[in-house]
Amino acid sequence: MLSEAEKPTAEFLDVAIWRGNAKRGVFHSYKVPQLENQTILDVVSYVQRHIEPKLTYRFACRVGMCGSCAMMVNGRPMWTCRTHVDRAMRGIMRGNPLTIEPLRNLPVIKDLACDMSGFFEKWTRAEGRFHPTRTRSEAIEAISPDSDARKAANEAIECINCAVCYAACDAVTGNKHYLGPAALNRAWTLINDQRDGGRNLRLSAVSGKGGCHNCHSQQSCSNYCPNELNPTMSITGLKRETTKAALKREI
Amino acid sequence: MIERHDTDILIIGSGGAGLFAALHAQKANPDLKITIAVKGLLGKCGCTRMVQGGYNVALSPGDSVERHFMDTIIGGKWLPNQDMAWRLCETAVTRIRELENEIGCFFDRQPDGSLHHKAFAGQTFDRTVHKGDLTGIEIISRLMEQVLARPIERMEEHRALGFIPSRDGEGIAGVLMVDMRKGSFRFVRAKAVLMATGGGPTMYRYHTPSGDKTMDGLAMALRIGLPLRDMEMVQFHPTGLLAGEDTRMTGTVLEEGLRGAGGYLLDGNGRRFMFDYDEHGERATRDVVSRGIFSEMRKGNTTPNGGVYISMAHLGPASVAEKFSGMVKRCGDCGFDLAGGLVEIVPTAHYLMGGVECDSDTRTELAGLYVAGEDAGGAHGSNRLGGNGVANSTVFGGIAGEVMAMDIDSQKTFRDPDGELLQAEIDRALQPFTIHKRTKISGNIHAIRDQLEKTMWDQVGIMRNAEGLQKGLDQISEINGRMMDCGLEDDEKVFNLTWHDWLNTQSLVEISGVIANAALSRENSRGAHFREDFQDEGNLEQSYFTRSRQSLDKDGRPRLKVEQKNVDFSIIKPGESLVEEM
Repeated sequence: MLSEAEKPTAEFLDVAIWRGNAKRGVFHSYKVPQLENQTILDVVSYVQRHIEPKLTYRFACRVGMCGSCAMMVNGRPMWTCRTHVDRAMRGIMRGNPLTIEPLRNLPVIKDLACDMSGFFEKWTRAEGRFHPTRTRSEAIEAISPDSDARKAANEAIECINCAVCYAACDAVTGNKHYLGPAALNRAWTLINDQRDGGRNLRLSAVSGKGGCHNCHSQQSCSNYCPNELNPTMSITGLKRETTKAALKREI
Repeated sequence: MIERHDTDILIIGSGGAGLFAALHAQKANPDLKITIAVKGLLGKCGCTRMVQGGYNVALSPGDSVERHFMDTIIGGKWLPNQDMAWRLCETAVTRIRELENEIGCFFDRQPDGSLHHKAFAGQTFDRTVHKGDLTGIEIISRLMEQVLARPIERMEEHRALGFIPSRDGEGIAGVLMVDMRKGSFRFVRAKAVLMATGGGPTMYRYHTPSGDKTMDGLAMALRIGLPLRDMEMVQFHPTGLLAGEDTRMTGTVLEEGLRGAGGYLLDGNGRRFMFDYDEHGERATRDVVSRGIFSEMRKGNTTPNGGVYISMAHLGPASVAEKFSGMVKRCGDCGFDLAGGLVEIVPTAHYLMGGVECDSDTRTELAGLYVAGEDAGGAHGSNRLGGNGVANSTVFGGIAGEVMAMDIDSQKTFRDPDGELLQAEIDRALQPFTIHKRTKISGNIHAIRDQLEKTMWDQVGIMRNAEGLQKGLDQISEINGRMMDCGLEDDEKVFNLTWHDWLNTQSLVEISGVIANAALSRENSRGAHFREDFQDEGNLEQSYFTRSRQSLDKDGRPRLKVEQKNVDFSIIKPGESLVEEM
């Protein structure tokens, strides 16, 4: 529930949407009718459908599964499809508009749509993919769901690569080579995957320039992750394992 | 200005079918240049990612490919293409092992470490492999990583506009696309093209598929005269979220398990009504529950937004919140209390069983063009089992990759494109701008799509009859006329979503006409297709499927012909079974 001071005064919501391209952009103001069940994505869609047909943004699944629609809302990165306007306006004083900008730390293509290719390049560079040790002609390995390694992998696995953590991370802002929380979190799930054959390759990949040791443990990634994952903890795990492997001269 | 681009294999779509095709083609011949073009971001758009239920595969002792096959045939009410259904069930076994052992998916285990198989409606054995209720995310994320790490060319935010056959009509020469980010046209020549755009019946007022899906692939296939089968077969899910006008979340699925666990469906006055329709109440099958809800909606016994309620609170809000944590959180994020309150729901269009006719090697009638996933018709017949969707896309995507690599092995050159058709497709795509030049008026494309969605929902939806279908066809034709007056100012083609909304609606209008015509042609009630005026399922031994094909009349106007073709019982006839004690 919004407090009295937060409650909007009119049936219209004042919205400021950043519009521009890779070079420059400015906020544009719009008035959007308030609805009872209204997400930030609904606000953006309303503007495109009824006010500014050339507004560019991105969405696909509408339910928090694809991670296409993340934006900066009142300065914070979040999925727009799963954020009710009331929740976004919590703590925003009356008279201030709802501000919507493209995700931080990624180049803008147009308006609210960013270029995510760098984010995914880092995912690949962190060896964020499985290296098989079996083939399709073999049976599926029996693995206890209660083993410590599997529990650690499961805890971090439900990432949908929406880049909210990447946008929240100051270490990414400060160092363009830094792989960032999402890619490193994925690497950590694979380090804990007993079926995987790429351990040393991956530990090398995440320990060099731009690797896990760039993380300052400020925990913005964990604070903002819409799936309540804890990439900071995953990165701490990687720091530990890479150090151990280096001491043993495995990497 | 058209940019030209060449590749050996062009894959359109990056769901389970598209990504598997790329990996298998590359493995079959690493020297090939393989390109994936996708309307959104790779692996992010489309519906494989949205799979909640799981993946049907006969792996357990006591289960068998034969049993999975029989469930698929009986679920599809004897309409499936049996060779495709067999291939699906047979190949699912190796495909799931590939997903686990080579791609890196990790599916839920039992305490002893073996795979967990859950029960799913319409199946005689617990065979659905899953990862919680987020199976699709695991499959697509892992596939995406493997594709990203390989030298596979990506063309993201590229929309396919038209298949361009060769000048002699003997095969496909390439695909016309628009680079959405730049707003410029690209003609991509390819020796083989896979159509894997995913159907997705988003022309209905309430629908589950992701927002990018608008039947573009099927519309492209229709325009070059390929046969589409089973187009009347649209599956509805009974419980879609209802949040009111101008909300994107409306139509998205609230999971099946809520009814299974004992959730109540209540009309607008708070009365339980499902026992009026079926002795199993809320636990009746998807189609029965959808019709029950639709009947209440017709009677006007509705909630403020025009649906019914789902109520879980009698099961104990705390236990509901624990058992259905993902759903409760999703509803909570959007302002609804699923665990303790009433949430408005409506039936929602979920999956199109129909699609392009092909053989069990994914080949279409046109040489060089292949089809897999929801774009392909035949495997599911008149109804798809939950858990057979993602099995279908991954199985046939992989097959397509191998078959394409093999088929183009001997092909040294590209086919010569039909230049006239290429120009015609460019002109089509520019239509809204051309209309604006003529009329100087910007139309409201969203109002037109809303009108189409209402027409399809009211007249061509869950319960159909001849009068309504005819009315629907008249309205679709009127809507098509409105499209031709709906202009768009030509001052910006760069990432112009409203231009793409226009093109989306055009694809939907074209395929809506096919669905309505096929539905009018089928005078019985089979699987997902329910005719109030012909409620009998018809003679099983004489089962037929509908084949819809468009051609141009002597004045160059498109004409649709719907035929009835006998189902080929190539493996099994009605009354027989491949397993004992079914």
